[in-house]
Amino acid sequence: MTDTILSLCDVSYRYPDGTSALSNCSLTIRRGSRTAVLGANGAGKTTMFLHLNGILRPSAGQVCWEETPLDYSRSQLRHLRSRIGLVFQNPDSQLFSASVREDVSFGPMNLGLTEKHVRERVEEALITVGMGTFADKPVHNLSYGQKKRVCIAGVLAMQPQVIVLDEPMAGLDATMQEEFTAVLERLHDSGMTIIVATHDLDFAYGWADEAIILKSGQVLAHGIPTETLQQRDVQQELGAAPLVAEITQRLSLIGIDLRDKDYLPRSKSELLKAISAHTRQENKP
Amino acid sequence: MLTELSAYTNRWRSVSPVAKGLFSLCGTGAAFTASSPRTALLVAFILSATAIVGAGVTPMRYLRVAIPALFFLLVSALSLLVSLEFSRNATFGVSFHLAITELPRIAQLCCRSLACLTALLFLALTTPLSDIISLLRRCRLPDTLLDLMILCYRTLFVLSEAVHETITAQSARLGYATTRLSIRSLGGLIANLAIQVWQRSQALHLAALARNNDGALRFLEREYPKSTSSISCAAIAGVLLIVLAGALP
Repeated sequence: MTDTILSLCDVSYRYPDGTSALSNCSLTIRRGSRTAVLGANGAGKTTMFLHLNGILRPSAGQVCWEETPLDYSRSQLRHLRSRIGLVFQNPDSQLFSASVREDVSFGPMNLGLTEKHVRERVEEALITVGMGTFADKPVHNLSYGQKKRVCIAGVLAMQPQVIVLDEPMAGLDATMQEEFTAVLERLHDSGMTIIVATHDLDFAYGWADEAIILKSGQVLAHGIPTETLQQRDVQQELGAAPLVAEITQRLSLIGIDLRDKDYLPRSKSELLKAISAHTRQENKP
Repeated sequence: MLTELSAYTNRWRSVSPVAKGLFSLCGTGAAFTASSPRTALLVAFILSATAIVGAGVTPMRYLRVAIPALFFLLVSALSLLVSLEFSRNATFGVSFHLAITELPRIAQLCCRSLACLTALLFLALTTPLSDIISLLRRCRLPDTLLDLMILCYRTLFVLSEAVHETITAQSARLGYATTRLSIRSLGGLIANLAIQVWQRSQALHLAALARNNDGALRFLEREYPKSTSSISCAAIAGVLLIVLAGALP
């Protein structure tokens, strides 16, 4: 089994109206990794995601699944879409059925599974996203965050190896964002490869193993968030730096080094912990 | 959406839709079996009482859902009762006639329609549309028709939300301050909705493709406990209702 699960090699895509959305875009996604895709609006994040799932076909270049180029045959697309789950940004644009259980069953039913299997998968997926008690509720009575969870359950019920989420945190309050991060954590622990498009730099810095920064349909930077998100050109493109990274850097300038064996704090809680540890060490007689 | 609210919150929500559909069908059958307006009214009373007392639909909610349909029934009855005649001798060239001799037939027709209406209301107020669609699927209705029903039903709520949001946004900028502005805003609302419908249909198509869809929309049907006994009960009650309607003069 190869380490690379998905890759784009020199992929270019132009929309029918002539807009160039991707141009010579190359990147690889590691199996089991947590990848954050960042970029300004119109940088090509959604177009790239539609290529990963085989919905869009590149004008030039190749998309590879487990190092095999896609040939876009009916059977291969079917296989690919059962392996890669795509969750769109707006839940109302992807929920078909009026009832939660019915909607979650849509994907597995399309896979041609038996009713018993579908039923098991639907229950399991709803429990994973914490919506087990909402199975018989009508979709239009759910809150925005709950609808987003149902969308994820709909994809999880297909048991994909990769889940691609387009701006999952958009429109969620802080508590919901925290709950959502916990759901993503559970999925990652189960061995799933997760790709998330986000504008939230702090989330990407703290959560992701890898960060891909897109600019005008090209990869500007790709690597570990603690390195890529500190690059000057990346910060210029994104218009900001992660808050935790900025504080850590400012503290180091006044002589407070929070690094622990080269490990930098990546989230607010890690930063607070590092500051407490540093203060304790300073106060030691 | 009063019908929707009642369908999801009534006492018989967990009863098999087959049983409720069967009883509603028998109710319609009884309405046609009734040979007098009085019997048809009795059938209508039994059906509405079943929805209110049995399924626990509040009388006020029942009435509010029934009023628009009753209004149409009233208009239809009046149009049957009153006939227009164009003649030169009449004032303004039009004369009105009351069809008194047709009154028994009109009464029969209206009471029968009322009984049919209560039979349909019984189903609509006790069964969510998703259950009715799965019931129709079992009845082998064409997939295309059912897919359209599913999408229309779902889009209805999405669009109603979009309409409310747009109207609020327009009102916030004095969009409906004068009659002239109202007409202008209404035009804007319709144009905006047309674009939204097109964009949403595109998005739904992409979402369906992403979830491996290749045509028909397939969903898991809800399981109902003790459905055999509830279907038997509904069948017995339904047949009794038809027999009663047939036996009464």
